[in-house]
Amino acid sequence: MEQSGTSTLLKGAVQDLAAGVASALRSGGHGPAGDLPSAAFAADGLAPAAVRVLGADYVLPHVLLGTRPDPAELALLRRAVETYPPRADAAPTVAWSHWAMTRALRRLAPGEAVPAPEPAADWLDTADWRTLTHQLAILAPLALPGEDSAVGRAARHRPVDVARGFVRAVRRRDWAQAAGAARWLTVLDGVPDTLGLDTGLDFVELMGGGDPLVDLQVRAARHLRVGALV
Amino acid sequence: MTATRLMHTVGTRAMEWLWAHRDGFRLEPDVDPEVGFLERFKPVGELAMICKVLFREGVAGSRQADLARRLLDHAWRETLDGGRMLVLGQRTEPISPIPFEVYLAFKELGYSQPEVERAAALNHRLESWVSFEVAPTRRLGLSAFQRRFGLTPRPPEPEAFAATWLARTPEPWTVEGHIAYDVTHAVFHLTDWGERPDGLPPRVADYLATWLPVWIDDWLDLRRWDLLGELLVVDACLPEPTLDQRAWEGFAAAQQPDGAMPAVHEMPEGDPDEVFDVVYHPTLVAAYASVLATSRSLTELAHTPS
Repeated sequence: MEQSGTSTLLKGAVQDLAAGVASALRSGGHGPAGDLPSAAFAADGLAPAAVRVLGADYVLPHVLLGTRPDPAELALLRRAVETYPPRADAAPTVAWSHWAMTRALRRLAPGEAVPAPEPAADWLDTADWRTLTHQLAILAPLALPGEDSAVGRAARHRPVDVARGFVRAVRRRDWAQAAGAARWLTVLDGVPDTLGLDTGLDFVELMGGGDPLVDLQVRAARHLRVGALV
Repeated sequence: MTATRLMHTVGTRAMEWLWAHRDGFRLEPDVDPEVGFLERFKPVGELAMICKVLFREGVAGSRQADLARRLLDHAWRETLDGGRMLVLGQRTEPISPIPFEVYLAFKELGYSQPEVERAAALNHRLESWVSFEVAPTRRLGLSAFQRRFGLTPRPPEPEAFAATWLARTPEPWTVEGHIAYDVTHAVFHLTDWGERPDGLPPRVADYLATWLPVWIDDWLDLRRWDLLGELLVVDACLPEPTLDQRAWEGFAAAQQPDGAMPAVHEMPEGDPDEVFDVVYHPTLVAAYASVLATSRSLTELAHTPS
């Protein structure tokens, strides 16, 4: 019972965090990333775990908008990175999401994190288009313009497969996966025009935007899309 | 790439079921006028069309080809009473295109009923025939059938195609069951039921090559066998068919030991005529998909350097 209670609380904390990030993206970076009283939030015992689940997107507004994170945010990100290192036998997505957090920390606070070597990404090379999109959606925090990684290169080689995965996710009403895939599609070249990505993004927002995690990815995708057009 | 034997076996088993249940292709002359006498002609026309594809592709085994010939003879002589039921249908509903649509495949296979032909030639001159309101995909089919019959299509096929969903290559994530059937039928008519894959405009072929794998994946997982079978036909009509192994294995596994293909999920139970009415179409589609996919598979083998 206790475990399930903790799990519910953590889920709620992640959703609150995602709502804050989405709100900051929507408002163009006014207010702290996460739009939360970071100091008070950090005192919450669940905070590092919630940041670990949300991953590098915790500081996405700063990365995309060039704003400066406050010390409490950086401290929390660092705590999440240090408290939850991936185990040696961790799934590739776990290793990569941790790597993405390390990269974000290094970028926002140079010198505060030791550069970590990239995990292997060969599991994506052999993945069919369904698995590829599913895994990429989990790793949506890596979908950033101008940020290289082996995962990003795997995605860049297969824009049609990711587009197919987006269609599949929408058909199955898996809005979180659809939103994550859409974010990747905004940073890939070679996406088929017939996909209708702009209206697709609006559709995912209309149908699934009540979930803060979906809303965050839709906001991120829309931000990247506008940025890509500039 | 799926094993040719697997795809071929689906078709041979489907033909066995169709032959064993040939009496299910039945007309109802005393039907309530509100239902319409012509309603039950559609399955007969579909049967003739699929048998024609089977002869055309030339990949059926001797048993399968023999069953197809006997099924056609049965449908023409018994069900249609040598074509006289088509005439009766035409006299019951003079402007209906259904007798013409059913007749075309029989005519192409050498059967003849001059009065249906006279009615088709007359109807073709009527403004009403060009104007009565039908779904765009059916209108495309009527134009294609007129061409095959030797008439000038009204409207021309490019104009009829332009009104369909597929012609506009819309957002692929909006496709649901009804739209998917519109897509499959547009492809059937554009390619003359798989005879002319180059009847697909290149941009439409590209669109289908890109998105069809998603739709096949989806309707396979939903276990909607009738629609999946039609999508597998579309695949076999593309310049480079995928002959998707996972889909074909799932499709083959859904087929019953006696060859029947359920429309969705499992086989229905109940009155044999009612079961026939539910199952005949997916089983015909299974035969159709099988013969086209087998043919394409053999073509690819022939072109593969050993």
